Amino acid sequence: MSDRDLSLLSDRELARLERDIARRHIGKFPWFIVICAIVNFAIWISLWPLVFTGIIPVWLGLIIASINAAVGYLPSHEAQHDIIARPGSKLRWLNELIGHLSTIPLALPYKLAKVTHQEHHKHTNHPELDPDVSSHARGPWHAVWRSIVNRQPRAKGAFNAYGRTLVRLKRFDVLREAAVCRLAWFMSLFALAWCGHAIEAAALWWLPHHIGYTYIQFYLSWAPHHPAEETHPHRATRSFRSVVGNLGSMGMQYHVVHHLHPRIPLYRTPQAYWEMKPVLEARGANVDGL
Amino acid sequence: MIQIVQVVFRFGPLLFAFGFLAPLTAQIIKSAGWTPPFGLSSLTTGLIIGGLLGVVAQARGRWI
Repeated sequence: MSDRDLSLLSDRELARLERDIARRHIGKFPWFIVICAIVNFAIWISLWPLVFTGIIPVWLGLIIASINAAVGYLPSHEAQHDIIARPGSKLRWLNELIGHLSTIPLALPYKLAKVTHQEHHKHTNHPELDPDVSSHARGPWHAVWRSIVNRQPRAKGAFNAYGRTLVRLKRFDVLREAAVCRLAWFMSLFALAWCGHAIEAAALWWLPHHIGYTYIQFYLSWAPHHPAEETHPHRATRSFRSVVGNLGSMGMQYHVVHHLHPRIPLYRTPQAYWEMKPVLEARGANVDGL
Repeated sequence: MIQIVQVVFRFGPLLFAFGFLAPLTAQIIKSAGWTPPFGLSSLTTGLIIGGLLGVVAQARGRWI
C-alpha cells in the first residue's frame, strides 16, 4: 500500500481501509492478558504472607506491589472495553471478574474506572468533559507532579473529577459503589495499622496505590495525549517513543490505535499500528512519534 | 448511609491521619529504634505528628 495509492482515496475510503485493518485484530481472545491478570493478582496476594512472615523484606514487597498495582490496570482496561468477553456472551463473567480483581492492588473501583474511562474516550482532551484532562502537563516531571497534586483531598482532578463525571452522568449507582469501595479500602488500612501492621499496609497497598496511579496517569493519560490541545479523534492521541520501551510504557506507545479502535486487544495494537500507519497518516493522525 | 459516607469523606484527611498515619509513624519510630523526646511513647508521638499533618491537610485541602 503506497502513499501514492492512498492520496487518491477519499476520506470515506480511507476510513473503510482503517476499519478493515482494525477488524483483522478484533475478536481474538486475549489469553495473555487473562493469564497476566491472574498471575499478577496471585503475586500481590502472596506478598502479604511473605512480607508478614519476614520471608521477603518490606522494601522488596513495596517494589513488587507497586508493579502489581500498575500492571493490574491493563487487564482491567481490557475488561472496561469488553475485549475479554462482550455483554451477553458465555465468558462475560470472566470479563467482569478480571475487571474487578485486577484493580484491587490499585484500590481503584472497576465500575468507576469503566464509566469514567468511556467518558475519556468520548471526550478526549475536552476541557470540561474529559475526566482525565487534569493530567495534562507541560512536560514529564510536571506530569508526575500534576498526578500527585490531582489526588489531594480538595483537588480538581483524579477521583474528584471522576466523582463530578458520575454526577453529571447521573450514575449515582456507580458513585455509591465507588464510595463504598474506597471506604472499605481506608477501613482495611486503618484496621491493619491499628493491629500493628501499618508499615506492611503502607508498603503493600497504600504506597503502591499512589506509585501505580502516578505511573498509569503518566503513560495512559499524559504521554499519549500530550500536548492535549486537539479533540478530533485522529489528533487527540499520538504515537510516541518511550525511554522505557513499549513494555515499560505498558504498551502505550501505540495508544492512538486504541483510541481509534478500542476493541483491539492491547497485545495486537503494535501490529495494527504498523499496518494502519499509512492510512492514519493519510487521515492526518498524530503518528510522527513512531 | 449516604450521609455517613459524605461525612467520612468530608473529614477524610483527619480520619486518615489518626486512622493510618499515627500508627504508621509510631511503628516507623519503633522499628527504627528512635527514642521520642520528653519521654513520649512512640504512639503518642505518632498521634501528635499524624494529627498535626491531618489538621493542616484538613484545613488546606491538600497534603503537599
